[in-house]
Amino acid sequence: MNGSKSEYEQERARRGAMHWGWILFSFVASLIAWQGVVWLGGYPPFILPGPLLVLERLAELVADGSLWFHTWVTLREVLAGLGLGTLVATILGYGLAHSSVAERLLSPYIVASQSVPIVAIAPLLVIWFGAGMLSKVLVCALIVFFPILVNTVVGVRSVGRELRDLMQVLEANRWQMLWLLEVPAALPVLLGGLKVGATLAVIGAVVGEFVASDRGLGYLLKQGQQLYDTSLVFVGIAVLVVLAQTIYGTVVLLERLFLRWREA
Amino acid sequence: MTEPLLVVEKLAMAYRQSRRRLPVLAEVAFQAAEGEFLCLVGPSGCGKTTLLRLIAGLERPEAGGVYLAGVPMDRPRRRVGFLFQEPRLMAWRTVAANVALPLEISGTPRVEVARRVQSLLDWVGLAGFAAAYPAQLSGGMAQRVALARALVYDPQLLLLDEPFGALDALTRERMAQELLRIWQARRKTVVMVTHSVPEAVLLADRVLVLGPRPASVVAEVNVGLPRPRGEAVLETPAFAALARRVRQALDDAV
Ligand SMILES: Nc1ncnc2c1ncn2[C@@H]1O[C@H](COP(=O)(O)OP(=O)(O)O)[C@@H](O)[C@H]1O
Ligand SMILES: [Mg+2]
Repeated sequence: MNGSKSEYEQERARRGAMHWGWILFSFVASLIAWQGVVWLGGYPPFILPGPLLVLERLAELVADGSLWFHTWVTLREVLAGLGLGTLVATILGYGLAHSSVAERLLSPYIVASQSVPIVAIAPLLVIWFGAGMLSKVLVCALIVFFPILVNTVVGVRSVGRELRDLMQVLEANRWQMLWLLEVPAALPVLLGGLKVGATLAVIGAVVGEFVASDRGLGYLLKQGQQLYDTSLVFVGIAVLVVLAQTIYGTVVLLERLFLRWREA
Repeated sequence: MTEPLLVVEKLAMAYRQSRRRLPVLAEVAFQAAEGEFLCLVGPSGCGKTTLLRLIAGLERPEAGGVYLAGVPMDRPRRRVGFLFQEPRLMAWRTVAANVALPLEISGTPRVEVARRVQSLLDWVGLAGFAAAYPAQLSGGMAQRVALARALVYDPQLLLLDEPFGALDALTRERMAQELLRIWQARRKTVVMVTHSVPEAVLLADRVLVLGPRPASVVAEVNVGLPRPRGEAVLETPAFAALARRVRQALDDAV
């Protein structure tokens, strides 16, 4: 039995390696295709810069430290916004899950608020809270709020009467009900919401920076557009993708860590 | 005679569903002495689960009351252990952590928790599965974990609601024997609901027969069979006669 298990793991590792191999292959292939299109089409760099040019621009931005600076600005906004949005959404979601009165009272507003595009709210937040970090954090928080709220309500509601009864027989107090039952039971759904929120938060930060800012990756994108520095735009997009993937990957890691029981 | 440990006094109860009232129990009354093993049998849907929930303080009666060692069970209390029809394990906790749950809630010191969990897992024969998750267990094993969890905090009264109902016949017989062995060693007061008449006669000191809904106790059969009762007792004429009496009372009740 042990032998077959390790064989199985070997097989899995082999498939994993192959998987990464394919990703690397397709990445390199698309870079080559990209360069090919630039050569064949003879496009000027401000329309479509080749990968080499973009790489060069990236090296410049790394060398003068501005890439780290702007990435760090955006990352801070994203993390703060994600944290704030998650905090408020889980607390409110927990309340809604437990009180049908609160839910009936608040849910029309919450649902209606979702039909207002975030790009429409962002300028308002800049007017109210200035062009600094705070307005971006709030845009991020707003954009992640809804999916996390919904998932919290669904997660807490998924805790069945069976386990609640058990906890009551054991005379669990409110805190124990929360920490020993509701949090772990709702965690899979909650982390699902956080995964969605993580990618949305990056969008939120960029939207906020588009509206008004003098720093951040969104600002870099806008500057690249205004100066026809298209390589800069490409660098900005690439870094944003990496950033979003990293945050998403962190949540996936958290999932693996907390939900190990599911793999058993 | 000493004061009975459990006193169920003229219990009446009805469920309310959107203005309709569904009477479930009508004047259920009985007592259980300390260390006694009571079995409840009755037609399905007559209110057996409801009765156990009332005894555990999970529901409130319309009339009457439940007293455990003189204390009213007007709310859930940890002096009762409840083994539900399903194991009700927490999927995210290991077997050992599931058994430890009641002690964690009561704030028992860690060392003591580890010792007791270990000894209970030994008792139910699952010492090798301490680190397994519920999803990896068979139905019978999961129910044994639930039994260990109900016993680990040493409750005064153990309530069992058709605990082996979802198991196959063979596992079911083994579990009954195991329960008997544990009960003989620990002498807990037990109230157990079962729909198997032989199981009731094998396990119980006394079998109470409930009538159809709204239920009340319609018959009581004293099982005088000597203990310990092994598998062999199932073949004796005395056993057959008792089983017949319970079955008859059940048929009369409907
Ligand atoms: N929470 C509840 N709300 C309304 N009716 C219920 C509830 N629980 C059980 N009932 C009804 O009460 C009756 C008795 O249920 P139960 O005590 O589970 O019976 P038993 O365990 O003897 O099969 C059944 O008709 C059932 O449908
Ligand atoms: Mg039942």
